[in-house]
Amino acid sequence: MKPSSEIKSIIKDSLFTGLISLALFGPIVGLKTSSKGQGLFVTPHVGIVSLLVLACIIGRFLIGLNSLRKKEISFVSNITSTISSYMDNKGKHVAITGVLFAIVFPFLPFTDRYVLDVSIMILTYIMLGWGLNIVVGLAGLLDLGYVAFYAVGAYSYALIATTFGWSFWICLPLAGVFAAFFGILLGFPVLRLRGDYLAIVTLGFGEIIRIILINWYEVTNGPDGITGIPRPSFFGLPFKKFPEEGEASFHTFFNLEYSTMHRIIFLYYLILILALITNYFTLKIRKLPVGRAWEALREDEIACKSLGVNPTNTKLTAFAIGATFGGFAGSFFATRQAFVSPESFTFIESAIIVAIVVLGGMGSQTGVVLASIFLIGITEIFRDLEQYRMIAFGGAMVLIMIFKPKGILANRKPTITLKDHLNE
Amino acid sequence: MNKSLLKVDNLTMKFGGLTAIDNLSFSANNNEITSIIGPNGAGKTTVFNCLTGFYKPTDGEMLLSKDNETIALKKFTDFKIAQKAKVARTFQNIRLFPAMSVLENLLVAQHNELMIASGFSIFGILNLKRYKDKEREAVEKAKYWLDIIGLTNRADDNAGDLPYGDQRKLEIVRAMCIEPKLLCLDEPAAGLNPKESSELNKLLEFIKNDKKTGILLIEHDMSVVMGISDHVVVLNYGKKIFQGTPYETRKSKEVIEAYLGVDE
Repeated sequence: MKPSSEIKSIIKDSLFTGLISLALFGPIVGLKTSSKGQGLFVTPHVGIVSLLVLACIIGRFLIGLNSLRKKEISFVSNITSTISSYMDNKGKHVAITGVLFAIVFPFLPFTDRYVLDVSIMILTYIMLGWGLNIVVGLAGLLDLGYVAFYAVGAYSYALIATTFGWSFWICLPLAGVFAAFFGILLGFPVLRLRGDYLAIVTLGFGEIIRIILINWYEVTNGPDGITGIPRPSFFGLPFKKFPEEGEASFHTFFNLEYSTMHRIIFLYYLILILALITNYFTLKIRKLPVGRAWEALREDEIACKSLGVNPTNTKLTAFAIGATFGGFAGSFFATRQAFVSPESFTFIESAIIVAIVVLGGMGSQTGVVLASIFLIGITEIFRDLEQYRMIAFGGAMVLIMIFKPKGILANRKPTITLKDHLNE
Repeated sequence: MNKSLLKVDNLTMKFGGLTAIDNLSFSANNNEITSIIGPNGAGKTTVFNCLTGFYKPTDGEMLLSKDNETIALKKFTDFKIAQKAKVARTFQNIRLFPAMSVLENLLVAQHNELMIASGFSIFGILNLKRYKDKEREAVEKAKYWLDIIGLTNRADDNAGDLPYGDQRKLEIVRAMCIEPKLLCLDEPAAGLNPKESSELNKLLEFIKNDKKTGILLIEHDMSVVMGISDHVVVLNYGKKIFQGTPYETRKSKEVIEAYLGVDE
């Protein structure tokens, strides 16, 4: 094709994009309804709509032009492929540096309460992403209802802790067990399903759990949620300004001046440790027979059966283990907020976690970290834009999909190599 | 020595009104290659699917003699056929795990032994020596087979990146890694060039003679069938129309009419 005809097709394409955006923005943004006195009135917003449509046309035109300049694109993909090959060779160093940075992070000069709170949130999503990575990335079972296990973990923690008053370290494994139980409960009916059908059923499962939480008023307190969930204590030392008579508090025990930061820093380390446990466990189990069977099942279930791999047990373990980590993260969420309500476990949470796993690169542990920082970080940076920050979220996803359609880090490393075996 | 390994008795498989296999009886022996040939749609792959537990036959028996006992294959469903009865198979369209390395493909085939050795993952997580040793053994076994098919230097590459002929061979040795009594190969020579198909012949001869495994073979490539089979079973419309040695098969009038055709 000649350049001029290419330009022509780009112009055609961008005008078409304009048409679609007009159809979308026209009714959504252009027609604003307002109630004046009696009845609804429609106020047209021609200016904003034409601006948006124009932006879409120009944006599409620029993308088209950019695709003409192939060098530019290969430059971008060169950078990313250098990063991923670097991660392959120096992956261990990068991971250790990352962990060390995460450990000293609370004491860095620019770290204030807000930054630390955001980091705790990012770490929670990293942990959830790592947990879901077992189900989606390794076993290839697209689970759109992962938030259900997060909810089960949070509510079992909340209920056990408020009813029996047991400590965090007893409630945490119990919450994990409950979540695993629900994982198996979900696993059984969906054993025969794959792909789209599995996604729909898991999505439904997530909604069922949320609706049960709303309606089972006697146990879950319905939409009001559960309040007064005990805060975690530092091995029995609570983070209270005025401890009760005869009781030591964290700051009195260590002779520190009281600061609300102590608890935040403790929570930060708590989720960091939980997330690292998840990561260590996943890396370890990936190299075991069951981990290889998960990946084989993702690749070809029929071949697995012909080799005597039990697909039922293999899938159920993936669901159960993934759910357990979701449950752990849920308990952490409950103890951090001291309050849980069904509102925190909507479908959008599942969608974000799946987005983190997919955008990070299916099965890649480092990819999950990068995608969490990117997605959650960006929505936080643009918090001032209020509801429009979701545009930033969507934009981040689009950018990743354009430049790295297989996810940020899509390289898979074999779980075992003959080279290492021979060198032993 | 040539004792009977597999006995299929009055096997019938119906899909609704269609009878894919009609009262089929044949037997296959240890250390022999039994070929099943016939025109497309004759029910060859359906026989395999019944034998390997992917279909449940409407009627009939499939008896496998294993370690002095007779096992009814009908009793086992899908994955248990490979796990318990030790019947392995390959597929008409190759079914490897393409995004996993060649070595990993061979380790998945040893899943059940490794799973027990890893104490259902508990010993494995704890990194116990017992599991490590077993894993090393499994890798050695994989390497043994890779040496035989000449793919050792590609062990750490993705299986999907191998050339077509190598993928075929890899699928066969992957099935061998479960140490089967009976190996069912569904058109292993399809799409191979003459050199690759003679290598395949050698591999099958090796498996038959050195590994003491009975082989059941579906094949359209007559140079393979006539070259290495000990027995030939000819199917047409789900019925057996002939059984005999390759030489007899070539001379049989019915077989020529139904399948082989006449040289002009």
